[in-house]
Amino acid sequence: MENKQSGLANPWIQLALSVAFVTAYEVLLKFGAIETANIANSGWSWTGLSGLASLYVWFAIPLVVLSLITWLHVLRHIALSIAFPISQVVHAFVPLASWIILGESINRLRGCGIALVLLGLAVVAKPVARLEERL
Amino acid sequence: MTPISFVIVLIALATVVAGQLVLKKAMDIFNTVGHRHFDFLRPFALGIFLMTVQFFLNLGLLQRYDLSFIYPFQGLSVIMIAIAAAVVLREKLTMQLTIGSALISIGIVLVSMS
Repeated sequence: MENKQSGLANPWIQLALSVAFVTAYEVLLKFGAIETANIANSGWSWTGLSGLASLYVWFAIPLVVLSLITWLHVLRHIALSIAFPISQVVHAFVPLASWIILGESINRLRGCGIALVLLGLAVVAKPVARLEERL
Repeated sequence: MTPISFVIVLIALATVVAGQLVLKKAMDIFNTVGHRHFDFLRPFALGIFLMTVQFFLNLGLLQRYDLSFIYPFQGLSVIMIAIAAAVVLREKLTMQLTIGSALISIGIVLVSMS
């Protein structure tokens, strides 16, 4: 694992940015999907291409590209089996953002699920954090 | 959830796993030979293609279901990618990493069930 870069070049900073971009574009995509749900009844609707009729989707696309660029930087320096589970903090952030911004509900089961995701992240990230402290 | 949407979810899941593995491979090649060699371009292009397919399938699913319901299905990819990275890329899979990945996957399944 090679991650001695400082500032924005640090792969852990890039990982955090990637998570922020993913959370933001998922919420924007949902706004776009809501807006275009009424035109999504054609035979090719499962491809999601009708979503391109929404401006929200076009706002989301640059964030998708940015998340990919930051993620590629992460992949250059951190093992996939470590980086990918940590990046899954979006599974806690996206439902929380959906609750705050879109008004979607979080019941007890969903809350437990989010808590387990965060616990799993802590288990994965702890040895990595220890390693970072030693370096 | 209808059978067709379940199949679409599975295809989206497979493209995420394959896409991440191929992109990681491309970046490993990039680290080894540098950007002046084009050896990394083929897996890189394939990875981008797979991620694009996944993007549009996900958008199609979002048009029908709540974001907080659909998105967590992709979470199953956590344990799948951890195992695939160990098998295909020969990354070290520790017990702690396995337990952590499994907890994340279970948590995501719970979120999906709610």
